[in-house]
Amino acid sequence: MTPPPMTGRQVTLNVNGRDHEVWIVPSDTLLDVLHDELGMADVRYGCGEGVCGTCTVLLDGEPVNGCLTLAVQAEGGQVTTMRGLMGPGEALHPLQECFLRRGAAQCGFCTPGMVLTALDAVQRLGRPTREEIRYALVGNLCRCTGYTKILDAIEEYADQ
Amino acid sequence: MRLLAAAGDDAKILAGGQSLMPMLNLRLARPDLLIDINRADQRAPSLDGNHLRLPALTRHRVAAEHDLVRQHCPLLADAIRYVGNVRVRNRGTIGGSLAHADPTSEIGCCALAAGALVVARGPDGDRTIPASDLFAGYWSTTLAEAEIITDVLIPVARPRQGWSFHEMVRRTSDFAIVAVAVILNLAERDGVIAAATVALAGVADRVVLADPQPPDGDPDEIAARIAETLDPPDDVHASGAYRRRLARVLTARALREASARAAL
Amino acid sequence: MTTPDLQPLTKPYRIVGTSPAHHDFVDKVKGSLHYAADWQLPGMLHGRVVRSPVPSALITGIDVTAARALPGVFAVLTAADVPGNQIVERASGGLAELEVTMPVLAGDRVRYMGEPVAVVAAATPQIAHEAAELVAVDYTELPGVFDVQSAQSAGAPRVHEVGNTLVSWQIRCGDVDRALAAADVVIEGEYRSQHVEHAYLEPEAGVGWLENGVLTLRVSTQVIEHAAMIAHILGLPQSKVRVIAAYMGGGFGGKEDMTVEPYLALLVWHTRRPVRMIWDRQESLVASTKRHPFIMRYRTGADHDGTITAQQVEILGDAGAYPNLSPRVLFAAAACACGPYRVPNASITSTAVFTNNVPSSAFRGFGAMQIVLGYESQLDELAARLGLSRTELRERNFLAKGDLLPTGERLDTCVEVAQTMRRALEMLGEPPRPSGPGKLVGRGLGCNRHPYGRTIWFRDRASAWLSLQADGTLLIRSGVTDLGAGQAASLCQIAAEVLGAPLDDISIYIGDSALNPPAGGTFATRQLYMSGNAVLHAARELRERMAPVAADLLGAPAEDLEFAGGRVRARADGPSITLAELAAACDKRAISTAHLSTWRAQAGSFDPRTGQGDTFPDYTYGTHAADVEVDTETGQVTVLRYAACHDVGRAINPLRVQGQIQGGAMQGLGYALTEDMAIEDGYVQAALFANYLIPNAQDFPDVLVDIVESGEGKGPLGARGIGEPPIGNVAATIASAIHDAIGVRPDRLPMTPERILALLDERAAATREEHQG
Repeated sequence: MTPPPMTGRQVTLNVNGRDHEVWIVPSDTLLDVLHDELGMADVRYGCGEGVCGTCTVLLDGEPVNGCLTLAVQAEGGQVTTMRGLMGPGEALHPLQECFLRRGAAQCGFCTPGMVLTALDAVQRLGRPTREEIRYALVGNLCRCTGYTKILDAIEEYADQ
Repeated sequence: MRLLAAAGDDAKILAGGQSLMPMLNLRLARPDLLIDINRADQRAPSLDGNHLRLPALTRHRVAAEHDLVRQHCPLLADAIRYVGNVRVRNRGTIGGSLAHADPTSEIGCCALAAGALVVARGPDGDRTIPASDLFAGYWSTTLAEAEIITDVLIPVARPRQGWSFHEMVRRTSDFAIVAVAVILNLAERDGVIAAATVALAGVADRVVLADPQPPDGDPDEIAARIAETLDPPDDVHASGAYRRRLARVLTARALREASARAAL
Repeated sequence: MTTPDLQPLTKPYRIVGTSPAHHDFVDKVKGSLHYAADWQLPGMLHGRVVRSPVPSALITGIDVTAARALPGVFAVLTAADVPGNQIVERASGGLAELEVTMPVLAGDRVRYMGEPVAVVAAATPQIAHEAAELVAVDYTELPGVFDVQSAQSAGAPRVHEVGNTLVSWQIRCGDVDRALAAADVVIEGEYRSQHVEHAYLEPEAGVGWLENGVLTLRVSTQVIEHAAMIAHILGLPQSKVRVIAAYMGGGFGGKEDMTVEPYLALLVWHTRRPVRMIWDRQESLVASTKRHPFIMRYRTGADHDGTITAQQVEILGDAGAYPNLSPRVLFAAAACACGPYRVPNASITSTAVFTNNVPSSAFRGFGAMQIVLGYESQLDELAARLGLSRTELRERNFLAKGDLLPTGERLDTCVEVAQTMRRALEMLGEPPRPSGPGKLVGRGLGCNRHPYGRTIWFRDRASAWLSLQADGTLLIRSGVTDLGAGQAASLCQIAAEVLGAPLDDISIYIGDSALNPPAGGTFATRQLYMSGNAVLHAARELRERMAPVAADLLGAPAEDLEFAGGRVRARADGPSITLAELAAACDKRAISTAHLSTWRAQAGSFDPRTGQGDTFPDYTYGTHAADVEVDTETGQVTVLRYAACHDVGRAINPLRVQGQIQGGAMQGLGYALTEDMAIEDGYVQAALFANYLIPNAQDFPDVLVDIVESGEGKGPLGARGIGEPPIGNVAATIASAIHDAIGVRPDRLPMTPERILALLDERAAATREEHQG
């Protein structure tokens, strides 16, 4: 049986609480669709290997690599990007406020991935130690900050 | 199964995708067909007689946190901490890891040390493969083209059994340079080490079992002897000679730690 | 928490010296900032570069028919399609280097693996990928040369016909031969560093389009002035090319030369469609410019009391296949080769050599960074030889204001390096104990002198335009580009300080070659010095022009006016007017509330024959200190504590200054211990992001930061540049600590566990010999 050619099809993706109907080909990754089709600038290509974390999204509440997940695999699930954490009128999530106050973003490219991963860690662990936060973030690379202010921001949030 | 059998070489199984998808993104693999098996099995880990039964689709994170795994194969629960990062562990699967057969795989290393059995299903039915017969070389297994791993059976930890996992990485949570997994069993009566398995990752084209003789010998001597049998390859992260040296150091440390645990 | 709260020295300022989070940082945390790849236009195509798979070859044929025939392909371009295919970069202004051109698309020859040979545009990224693979190029491989020493030997394959030595700088003062002969002690050392990659999290990217006949590129770039070069490449007038610099997801010098610009421009011009190009991470690893690996040879002469009398230094830098900014990098290395120390007799030769490796160019630190390992290792060795402490020896030799540098320049700002050394060591506290058997601990330090501002003979200048709007809000227009270090935000803070407009009332527009006054690129740690001063002066000049109007309205002398909180007042409790009222009053009197100011850096000249003259406007001095533990069985090095102190002159935004120091130090730790492109025979071995080991969140401890604010910098309000300096001290600091732990000095980077183990073996063998002998 020869495999069928790659034809486009429509899928419904639930992103940040809203259903989106998008036209995709099966080989499209979730990153491709979120960034290019849905114009979500907070989900970013960084490496395509799953090591840098800039494409991190939550899939049913768990951080996953957007570049290693096929868009079709997200159908029926709930996708959350960092902007999905914000309130009406772009109200910052408390964790984002800590990032801002602590200077945890310099170039900002790693920030959405960091925030989502940090949120997951705090939700799972309650009040993680600084070492536990470091461990949770090993897959989110930052080239600008040296990580200190990111850790400060997350600890401040976890203390709240 | 039909799809897999029909497509043969042109198809690839997609489980967690953490190893396969990078290859697709980098265009190193270009299968005509991806068979997504993620929803094929919803079972949780369970106890099956003297074995811990891990469905192949058990996510790494689930395996590491599951009470049954922590209780009956603490080696695996511990080693999974070294696997990738949070995202990789959320999606990557035990079966997927074994089928991918990376020579630096922590999961593969533990499977060997624990004497795990892999249940594979093909068009002609199921068969059971000891982990020691599974790995065939760089990223290749003895699985037939149309076979999928469905379960991993791990002999449960026995009383008077010690374990240890040691890994050296160049950067936290990276692929192991060298990893060593040890399980040893103390004799019933006198507390000496009756049997030991030592498995290593990062020292060959596949994860390997070493033969620690005599099992109750001096850990440094055992480790030195094992290291001498190895001829690890060079790569961008380490030379073969350094890997051999690491193997000796980590094996000795793991043997000592496993011994201390067994005595508890 | 980790870092001490910063107490600014004195507080004559309201906004400068505080750490508000504003402007682009808010957008970054919101995830609403649009980087270069976050831009889409209708009908946009996707571009991809086709690159040479071999490092040295003739191109004997190129066949694009299959690629062009693929459905969805809109363009496949080769050298023949490039009107101005040769880029000439006279990086040192033609002062000393060979003139060597670089093609945009290689026509008859490739000189490095990854060199662009063709470029395609297609309807989807996937089709572009497939089309690129269908471009059939015939290569006949030529012998190549892959290290500087081979490249300099007779009979070596020529990377360029004119020869393999691109430039060789000389700095000479005193009589080095006589001083070395007369020295009580001479220390010889050779140090080697490796190819490293910027590894910004945002890969090179951009979108180009045609608008009203103007070729417009919106790209991740540090330099919008490349618009002129792009115009030349396309054979267009400069008025028909516009470059917009998006806020970058990191640059670090890797986006200082053109990256996607020429390829986007060609595809847009050819197809007349918008085109997007994003480099693969792996493509970026292999083919983007790198830091120059250095071989540094030192002979240091000193008296028995530790006074340095002579430094003879030879630097060889691997320029790779094309010049780019190599002449300036090797110049900066030469200018800083003696470090923050007085050296009365010096002979420094700094040479850039072509090889068939990927081209080297700008990377944070720019030559003055790599050389720190050289001079600091020599100082440590000297201390050990003379039985002096490392700090004592340094204090004996530190430069002071008024001292001469080897180039004959007199230092005209204060040198607080000794203070930074004391503070860095203080931050470390008590030395730690080893954590177990087989572990050794050690403490190290590293001092540096790092330039900020461009080389003086470039006659640097930057302009800024300010406008007080009718409603009292403020607009700033500056050609500055923003790397993520607050280049734009700092200008707002300065303007807020002078004009009293609240930060939230200030909008800044940056990085547009069509719409902004030119500010020069963001590199050389020059933007605070240049654009900061430009905005400071523009704001002051604007205030001076408006002050008489306010004085008149308030019935007070202009000198007594205070601009703060959106208002102007004469006395703390007196009447005030809003900035909006002031603007209206100025308007009524036909006094413009907009002002353009151009700030010019001091000028100077350098004579490459004598090696004497002006180099950089000023320097930032600092010291790092670290405690490490070495596992003697595996060679692994764990950094236990790390501290950094720099004299920043004035901290415009202390939180951001801390961030620069922490980030720079972390990049330095990667450079020191884990990062290596590992290029062999012209092939990059670390071609996956998984294999190029930049530090992650668990690899290193927090960098403890302290700053000195001496106030004597040449930047606005006495500031010194801080972007680059913190990356320089690290490798020397770690090497110093490892030496303290194990008694042998690493002289090669990165200091991998395998190399440390080899040093331990050497030491053990030497100890055995001693006992036997």
